[in-house]
Amino acid sequence: MKSPASASWKAPLKFRMPTAENLIPIRLDIEVDGQRYKDAFTWNPYDPDSELVMFAKRTVKDLKLAPGFLPQIVQSIQSQLATFQSYEGQDMYVGDKIVPIKLDLRVNHTVIRDQFLWDLNNFDSDPEEFARTLCKDLGIEDPEVGPAIALAIREQLYEIAIQNVTSARENRINKKGRRAAEHFPISKASGAALDLMKLFSFRSSVVRKRKEWDNYKPILDLLSNEDVDALEAKEERSGR
Amino acid sequence: MAEKSPVKEAASSESVPISNSVQLKPSPQFSAKFTTPTPPNSDVPSTPTNRPPPVDADVIHVPSYSRWFSWDKIDSCESRFLPEFFDGRSPSKGPSLYMYYRNSIIKLFRENPSRKITFTDARRNLVGDVGSIRRVFDFLDHWGLINYSASSALSKPSKDTASNIKSSDSPSLESPSTAAPTPKQSSTSRRFCGACKSLCTIACFVCDKYDSTLCARCYVRGNFRVGLSNADFRRVEISDEANADWSEKETLLLLEATMHYGDDWKKVAQHVGGRTEKDCVAHFVKLPFGEEYLGHPLLDDAESGFETNKRVRLTPLSDASNPIMAQAAFLSALAGVEIAEAAAQAAVNILSKVDDTTASRGDNGSLERNSRQESEISSNGDTNQNASERAYADANSQLNKEEEDIGRAITEITEVQMKEIQDKILRFEEMDLLVEKERQQLESMKNLLFIDQLNLSFRRN
Repeated sequence: MKSPASASWKAPLKFRMPTAENLIPIRLDIEVDGQRYKDAFTWNPYDPDSELVMFAKRTVKDLKLAPGFLPQIVQSIQSQLATFQSYEGQDMYVGDKIVPIKLDLRVNHTVIRDQFLWDLNNFDSDPEEFARTLCKDLGIEDPEVGPAIALAIREQLYEIAIQNVTSARENRINKKGRRAAEHFPISKASGAALDLMKLFSFRSSVVRKRKEWDNYKPILDLLSNEDVDALEAKEERSGR
Repeated sequence: MAEKSPVKEAASSESVPISNSVQLKPSPQFSAKFTTPTPPNSDVPSTPTNRPPPVDADVIHVPSYSRWFSWDKIDSCESRFLPEFFDGRSPSKGPSLYMYYRNSIIKLFRENPSRKITFTDARRNLVGDVGSIRRVFDFLDHWGLINYSASSALSKPSKDTASNIKSSDSPSLESPSTAAPTPKQSSTSRRFCGACKSLCTIACFVCDKYDSTLCARCYVRGNFRVGLSNADFRRVEISDEANADWSEKETLLLLEATMHYGDDWKKVAQHVGGRTEKDCVAHFVKLPFGEEYLGHPLLDDAESGFETNKRVRLTPLSDASNPIMAQAAFLSALAGVEIAEAAAQAAVNILSKVDDTTASRGDNGSLERNSRQESEISSNGDTNQNASERAYADANSQLNKEEEDIGRAITEITEVQMKEIQDKILRFEEMDLLVEKERQQLESMKNLLFIDQLNLSFRRN
């Protein structure tokens, strides 16, 4: 599904995650009988439904959750899947888009903050691979960080893809004709998207300016137990 | 099984019957291992040199059927059971990804081998989509590479799912009623569906490729693993006899009756009592012939299961009216002629020895019967040999015929192509002629024009 990079306006493609594997991020946050279950993972939407039930059963069993969780989990995953599938048939415009992806997460004792540019046109991109390499390079020992990073990236990509779909839909309704539509996706969708032409034109250089270096560096923090507790308490309070 | 010797021994003796039933794939290395079970101690060296075993020498028990495992390599059975990583359909899901999943799950388990790791632990720590992680986890679980500690109370090693191997015998089933079955039950097995774990009653669908069993409902709903289609399943009827299992006594009566009455199944049914004729015949045919009595591994159930497809055509006496001979012929054809002969001879010898020493035993009758049957088998070996030779010659002649056919077809094709080329050449020649004529015409016209020009210039001057 690689589109030629020459024209800035490309024919609309069918909606899909702009990654090598069409996996979607799923987030669960269910509360039953005072027990709270929060989780997030990647799911393959083409797995059969039996897979879903199987997964829910195992999760309930492994984590020793109350059996009331089972239908809720199944329902939640199914609704997120349905949302994805509803977008699936539609078109999305992908211009020359390089988007910044921001990471700002806390997983157990590790806090990671990072920012980098991601090419939306590259349908061979692999957030999992990226997350694995990042963890290895930064020497992160907690194995749960990797999946969280991959998930965060996927979620952001998903958001952007959805925005592209909605902008495509609006463009179709918009009667100004094709010419105007050319500029719409680029300028309208997600103002943080950089214009390739501007970035790599002959006037500016490809090398990043020094003052921007700090923005794009990964910051890794290991918290102590008290910090973790304090943060968790704060999150719960803000969540309520 | 074995007496309570050190844990390792117990594990090894447990491994053998498990491998008996889980041995579904016929790669020759498995049958070799099958006859020489070594204690699982020797499995620790499966960890290669670059991963030193933990200093306090915790021995990790791995069942003998998983001896192929190594950190750096991918075995063929892995690529068979988890083809999604190896068929190149998606660019990022490759063998290296599979190895990353597999090695991390196993490392995670081995950090704390006395505790079973759950799927959720594993998937929380791995980057990737949970569906494929689950499949790898189930695969490892089923092959005993994780969660296999002999100390666990209820060894329910794997959760069968539609994508997993289905063994027709007890260990991987969850229902507690499977405490009952003896090794005999491997032939009259209760079929449990791999996907929904319900007892299959009427008919079940077996997939030979991945050897999974589905009940009719799951099959219809399409509850099979990714990559399979409806066509891969074949229908297997389960008779009601599976619900009423044959006890030892009944089987004994049946055998006695068969010896006495031979083919008269009415009398046999009477003798057995409580079974219809059809049941008797069906059960008799299904008996794993002579195995329990002799303790001889005449055959490998697994081998027969696989090779049935290939060798079905070669059973020479398959339509013999005598069911004993049919069974014997079938089995010996599957095992191979020399093997069957050797086994039969050995069995007869040992039986005669055993006969002498245990002459007063109550089960003498059955032994005698079996010795008679064994001698019949050995005499059958000869006829089998001729039959298989004939079959071999037939196969050869068919091969030759096919080769000739192919040769002929190729020559025809080349002839046709040459004719085509000839026709083309002819046509080109004709075209050439035409073009030549045109050229000459043009030349003459040019000449005329020249003459006219000359005339004109003459007139002027």
